[in-house]
Amino acid sequence: MIRLENVTKSYSAEVVALHDASFEVAKGEFVFLVGPSGSGKSTMLRLLNREERPERGAVWVAGRNIVDMPPGRVPHLRRNIGNVFQDYKLLTEKTVFENVAFAQEVIGRPRHVIRQQVPAVLDLVGLAGKEDRFPNQLSGGEQQRVSVARAFVNRPLILLADEPTGNLDPATGEGIMRLLDRINTTGTTVVMATHDQRIVNTMRKRVIQLDRGVIVRDQARGVYE
Amino acid sequence: MWSRLTYTLRETWASFQRNITLTVAAIITAAVSLLIFGLTLLIQEGFDNLLSRWEGGVEMIVFVQAQATEEQRSVIEEALAAQEGSIIASWSYCDVACSLEDAQRLFAGDPATLELLTETNIPTQYRVVPTEGTDVLTLRALREAYQDGLPNVLSVTLAEDQLDLISRLQGFVGLYTTGLWISLMFAATLLIWNTIRTAMFARRREIEVMKLVGATDWFIRVPFMLEGLVQGIIGGATACGALWFINNRWTAGVAEFPENSGFAALVVSDGYLNWVMLGIIAFGALVGMIGSGIAASRFLDV
Ligand SMILES: Nc1ncnc2c1ncn2[C@@H]1O[C@H](COP(=O)(O)OP(=O)(O)OP(=O)(O)O)[C@@H](O)[C@H]1O
Ligand SMILES: [Mg+2]
Repeated sequence: MIRLENVTKSYSAEVVALHDASFEVAKGEFVFLVGPSGSGKSTMLRLLNREERPERGAVWVAGRNIVDMPPGRVPHLRRNIGNVFQDYKLLTEKTVFENVAFAQEVIGRPRHVIRQQVPAVLDLVGLAGKEDRFPNQLSGGEQQRVSVARAFVNRPLILLADEPTGNLDPATGEGIMRLLDRINTTGTTVVMATHDQRIVNTMRKRVIQLDRGVIVRDQARGVYE
Repeated sequence: MWSRLTYTLRETWASFQRNITLTVAAIITAAVSLLIFGLTLLIQEGFDNLLSRWEGGVEMIVFVQAQATEEQRSVIEEALAAQEGSIIASWSYCDVACSLEDAQRLFAGDPATLELLTETNIPTQYRVVPTEGTDVLTLRALREAYQDGLPNVLSVTLAEDQLDLISRLQGFVGLYTTGLWISLMFAATLLIWNTIRTAMFARRREIEVMKLVGATDWFIRVPFMLEGLVQGIIGGATACGALWFINNRWTAGVAEFPENSGFAALVVSDGYLNWVMLGIIAFGALVGMIGSGIAASRFLDV
């Protein structure tokens, strides 16, 4: 599903965010990216949805090397990838329903599909009955659930999550993790960058550890350390 | 399809409201520019009407009495041919149909006179192009000779009487109005550009999310292009209204000028006016759409 081959990404001569990184993720896997601040986790995720391009190496996603993908194809790549962020990135002037529907609207899903799938996914993330609220009328955990619903509503092959629990208290964070785990069991590949030691240690999934842009550990059923 | 359309229209309308001051400024500037553009075209057309019979270096016109027979005209043609090579470089005959067409342009603002001219009473014309280096005095002498010596000649007119002043006036007016509308169009484009940038900045979070969930650039761009298009069309329509009004007042005013003042030609036909108005709207629409499209593409990347 995902394969990186000797990927090097630098933002400038001094800042080398990733150095010669290679790994492979199979369909349906759940992978934690861990490492100290500035080690290149977010950069890795941004390479996977072509927000950034590496100087060297190949990035294979769903059977395609996306490094040299023509810009016109990138939107279609992104329809196969859901994104969840630490700061949710919800649109404050839209309701919960509209925020999720937006992800379908802008890729041209017909209205009857939207009317059917948005409530279903909101139900899945546990937000049934809160469709008409605005983001500022929700708790942090609920906002993150909206964001997960938006990332998942188009049934992506891959879900990328960048510190999705970073702003949440442990109990709320666990709820989000259960949700991501459930999404993972539907066959969606999940790659999640995190600092949350407890979560990594309880979930016991594959762990890829970065240090100053270099992969220093790749461990199945790993722990945070 | 339907959901796309409603999405696009909703976003365009919302953006309009959000940006009302800048939008109004852009529309007014576009309208004034397009108005001056339209006026330039009308003025040029008016001058062209006045000068059309002098096109192609014609400097002398021999008017022939209406209903002169071909045989009678051959005397005139022989006289012209006799000078060919020395004073006259070439000459051509403007027959009844041609002369009627000429009158249509010349008396555009004077329908009463136009009405009196018919196939049977309109004088036809010989249009004469002199050789290079022929001076005015020679031409004047030729005019005298033709006027007095040739049968069936109604009158002979020389270009020097009106041509020089008018074409100089035309060049002067054309230069300044063109300069004016181009700079205003430039200002209008900048304003439209700025409206789009402001609109996109206001929606940058939305655009970020759209790109992340896989909206195509075109999908993101179209509402902004539509916004520019609508601005251009409203500007164009406003300019059309003003142009129509001004042209109307001018045409009415010209009708009251003394006959033979020459101003009757400085009026354009309704058909031409319609073309100009259509052109103005199309031009406004094009500038608005392309300007905003380019702006949207530029700010999509950042
Ligand atoms: N847009 C950018 N321009 C320049 N340098 C950048 C940019 N983004 C990241 N960097 C640099 O690249 C390196 C890796 O950054 P990255 O954001 O990938 O780290 P991270 O592991 O996600 O850190 P954190 O845990 O703090 O989120 C850092 O040194 C950072 O300063
Ligand atoms: Mg990060």
